[in-house]
Amino acid sequence: MADHADIHNWQQMAEKELRGTTVDALKKPTPEGIDIKPLYTAEDLEQIDFVNNLPGVDPFVRGVRATMYTNRPWTIRQYAGFSTAKESNRFYRKNLAAGQKGLSVAFDLPTHRGYDSDHPRVTGDVGKAGVPVDSVEDMKILFDGIPLDKMSVSMTMNGAVLPVLAGYIVAAEEQGVSQEKLMGTIQNDILKEYLTRNTYIYPPEPSMRIVSDIIGYCSKNMPKYNTVSISGYHMMEAGADSVLQAAFTIADGIEYVKAAIKAGLDIDEFAPRLSFFFGIGMNFFMEIAMLRAARFLWADLMKQFNPKNPKSLMLRTHCQTSGWSLTQQDPYNNIIRTTLECLAAVLGGTQSLHTNSFDEAVSLPTDLSARVARNTQIIVQEESQVTRVVDPLGGSYYVESLTNSIITEARKIINEVDELGGMAKAIVSGMPKMRIEESSARRQARIDQGKDVIVGVNKYQVEDEAPMEVREISAEVRDQQVARLNEIKGKRDNAAVEKALAAITNCAQTGGNLLEVSIEAVRKRATVGEISDAMEKVFGRYVATTQCISGIYASEYQDNDIIASLRKRTDDFVQKEGRRPRILVTKMGQDGHDRGSKVVATAFADFGFDVDISPMFQTPAEAARMAIENDVHVVGVSSLAAGHKILVPDLIAALKEEGGDDVLVVVGGIIPPADYEFLHDAGVSNVFGPGSVITESANQVLNALENR
Amino acid sequence: MENNPEYYVQGVCAGNRKALAKTITLIESSLPKHQELTTKVLDRLLPFSGNAIRLGISGVPGVGKSTFIESLGMNLVEHGHRVAILAVDPSSTQSGGSILGDKTRMEKLSVQPNAFIRPSPAGGTLGGVSRKTRESLLVCEAAGFDVIMVETVGVGQSEVSVASMVDFFLLLMLAGAGDDLQGIKRGILELADAIVVNKADGDNLEKALQAKQIYADAMHLFSADTAEWLPPVLTCSALHIHGIDEVWETVLKHHKQLTATCALEQKRKKQALAWMRTLLEEGLKDWFYQIPEVQKLLPDLTREVERGASTPTAAVKKLLNSLNN
Repeated sequence: MADHADIHNWQQMAEKELRGTTVDALKKPTPEGIDIKPLYTAEDLEQIDFVNNLPGVDPFVRGVRATMYTNRPWTIRQYAGFSTAKESNRFYRKNLAAGQKGLSVAFDLPTHRGYDSDHPRVTGDVGKAGVPVDSVEDMKILFDGIPLDKMSVSMTMNGAVLPVLAGYIVAAEEQGVSQEKLMGTIQNDILKEYLTRNTYIYPPEPSMRIVSDIIGYCSKNMPKYNTVSISGYHMMEAGADSVLQAAFTIADGIEYVKAAIKAGLDIDEFAPRLSFFFGIGMNFFMEIAMLRAARFLWADLMKQFNPKNPKSLMLRTHCQTSGWSLTQQDPYNNIIRTTLECLAAVLGGTQSLHTNSFDEAVSLPTDLSARVARNTQIIVQEESQVTRVVDPLGGSYYVESLTNSIITEARKIINEVDELGGMAKAIVSGMPKMRIEESSARRQARIDQGKDVIVGVNKYQVEDEAPMEVREISAEVRDQQVARLNEIKGKRDNAAVEKALAAITNCAQTGGNLLEVSIEAVRKRATVGEISDAMEKVFGRYVATTQCISGIYASEYQDNDIIASLRKRTDDFVQKEGRRPRILVTKMGQDGHDRGSKVVATAFADFGFDVDISPMFQTPAEAARMAIENDVHVVGVSSLAAGHKILVPDLIAALKEEGGDDVLVVVGGIIPPADYEFLHDAGVSNVFGPGSVITESANQVLNALENR
Repeated sequence: MENNPEYYVQGVCAGNRKALAKTITLIESSLPKHQELTTKVLDRLLPFSGNAIRLGISGVPGVGKSTFIESLGMNLVEHGHRVAILAVDPSSTQSGGSILGDKTRMEKLSVQPNAFIRPSPAGGTLGGVSRKTRESLLVCEAAGFDVIMVETVGVGQSEVSVASMVDFFLLLMLAGAGDDLQGIKRGILELADAIVVNKADGDNLEKALQAKQIYADAMHLFSADTAEWLPPVLTCSALHIHGIDEVWETVLKHHKQLTATCALEQKRKKQALAWMRTLLEEGLKDWFYQIPEVQKLLPDLTREVERGASTPTAAVKKLLNSLNN
């Protein structure tokens, strides 16, 4: 036992300051299940082995490189893409000139889901939340004037990963850059899509084969390319706390490693090319500790595969500040939030970083907001001097102890996943998704009660806000895409395309490397949609089972008066109308972000509504039919990917056509205030933007029902 | 709500989706004026009902009922059938609200022009479920649907009420969950016209086949040798669409057999009579507690029994006798 300071003495002094209450009252529980004490001392570090380690060596808690930022700072890598390939290319080139170091491409939702821009299910989504890529011709425009042998390019793509990666490879090829020179990252993390964002195409099993085919191909032909970016970011955005984020991400990673080994690859051939992607929120020290804990856990768990190369144990990561933590209200506060999150990612030892723009709670970044976001990193990197020392928080009683607690808690969840047979099986069981959704519903309840403070939203609100300039994507984008698609189809050798597509179907059926055959099809100008369809013939398209739990929101929400008064209102409604208020919560278009709709569904059921949930990816006509058939009073549309200006009016028209004029339509999600009037004019009764309190929204829906 | 019964009757007979939906809402309404209207509407629609195969589907949560219905329903509409599905979902006892997510697992079927899927909250009472569902079933028949499936979550009581309104009661099971038949009440097994072990695919196939054998043995024990219909035990994979045809063939075989011997008519008559009795008993109960004399006496008698001043038998006798005066 080392000598420690007299903690009893401190306790006495503290309790004197507290005037009667005990020190224990200062202990704060966290959603992670870790109680934070008011004071940490050297005693807390006694049982922790990793504290006195060095950066660059196993278990890498203090960083994956020996010198970290003292030698080379993290890569500033801003994620962007919108409208058309040409527009996005212009935006990239401008940003690179202004100090950005790597590219990160955001694709639109139809591309993610393997649909060409002319597909009837995607009318509202083309070019909205990213750039549409239908063929290699779009890819070539996207990277025009950007030397792909020098520029590291990260691509967020999981569903249509084969045609998109093949498109990048062929675009480089036609630029004169051979495959072994390519550097960058493809996200290729399909498992988390089933948990949160839902931009998958095929069922888990064939999707895992696609992942290993890519790992296999790249480890032979593209040695500098990161083949999977194992992502926790989307889990955090969906409401996972830091322990859940760390645990499920690491468990996903282990599943990929097992799949690659099963496919016959040697661990040291591919493990060093796996990278990670974490989301960094506002709980400053928790985020730092999470990154440190994740590195420890990865190094520890990878040892079971007996790698010889120490790089196989290294968790290298990209980070992004939390989009979810941004608010529509008082939006310039978002710059401050992003700065803190940026600092947490840096103190946690990230390898590259994206900082969000302050307007991202309502729309895509403008030139101004993108500049501020980029400069946030540059200022931390070049002005603040935090890069002078490796792992400056190493040895902090609190941070080290918190790191240890996250390791302990995350391990419990990883063990649970193991007992279910690994992450792929766990996902089928629904366990991880339910955990994340539960965490999300609890968080929403805390925010709605003001227990988790969000300035400008539930505290210190601003009365009159000046409207903010937002970027809007014109409806012509889809027409342009469709025109180019037709042009390509008119010029190419269609017989050769058919042959290449048949080869893909055959490869899907009988085996072989799917990336290899996809590259061949892309060379022949096969489109993203065609290549995806060629595999869908064999694999099928995956339909998620939607589970929704009730009771969580109400149990976290402790102000019983508010819940009770809502329940009274729904009971009164029954007395008057003969049944409960019934609401259909729907997501239309290819936007798979279902966190918000799930939270709303579970909360409204807790208030005494009958809540219908629609399948994902509905068309407006399908949603209208469901509203009529289930005879709901209200349709609640959740929209987070900018499709609302097309999809909502279409829904209202479809409702009218089926005689549902009396059905109210409300819209929630990421809706720029400038669009409120448009939506009201289209017939929407209420719009609930980011930061809406659910209990308040429910009261407004009931008001609207009563005023019909 | 529209007050003219003609709106509902004509709409349903014309196969109008919205009118059918509104009629079910009317049936489900707790308002007395809606119930009066319901009676009028049903009287008019009854002659058009009775022409469908009525199929009840139950099983524990997670057994794959919705996925099974999606696969069977798609199979049927592809063969030209018109399929209606009435799904009953549990309501929260705390809030009274419910989450109705059946259609998320019936993605293809729910957009078919020849399908109609209506999830309904169970609401407060079990009796309520069976009344509403039974009447909704008749209305779907009047709207021209020739296969009606009624889906409930298996919680014991609800199986009994579903079995009492359908021609064929299908119990979905899982391998493993019932290796030893624990947790499945004999009474529920006796209701089944077929048992189908779902999720007979992949790693689970072997276990499913074992479970099939165990259930088959059990069903033999329960059934009398003279029974006209020995409930078969089948396996299927609703997800991979294996064995669905066989399930439907079994339903058809049962239907043919019952129709040939007029047993179907008998069964439906018996169900109607049993239902009348149930309604009568419920009605009596409601009526009894509304009587002013009963309302006056009951609290005092309750206290007397509590104090031990009167026996339950004596108290009830006194209460019932009070009606004779």
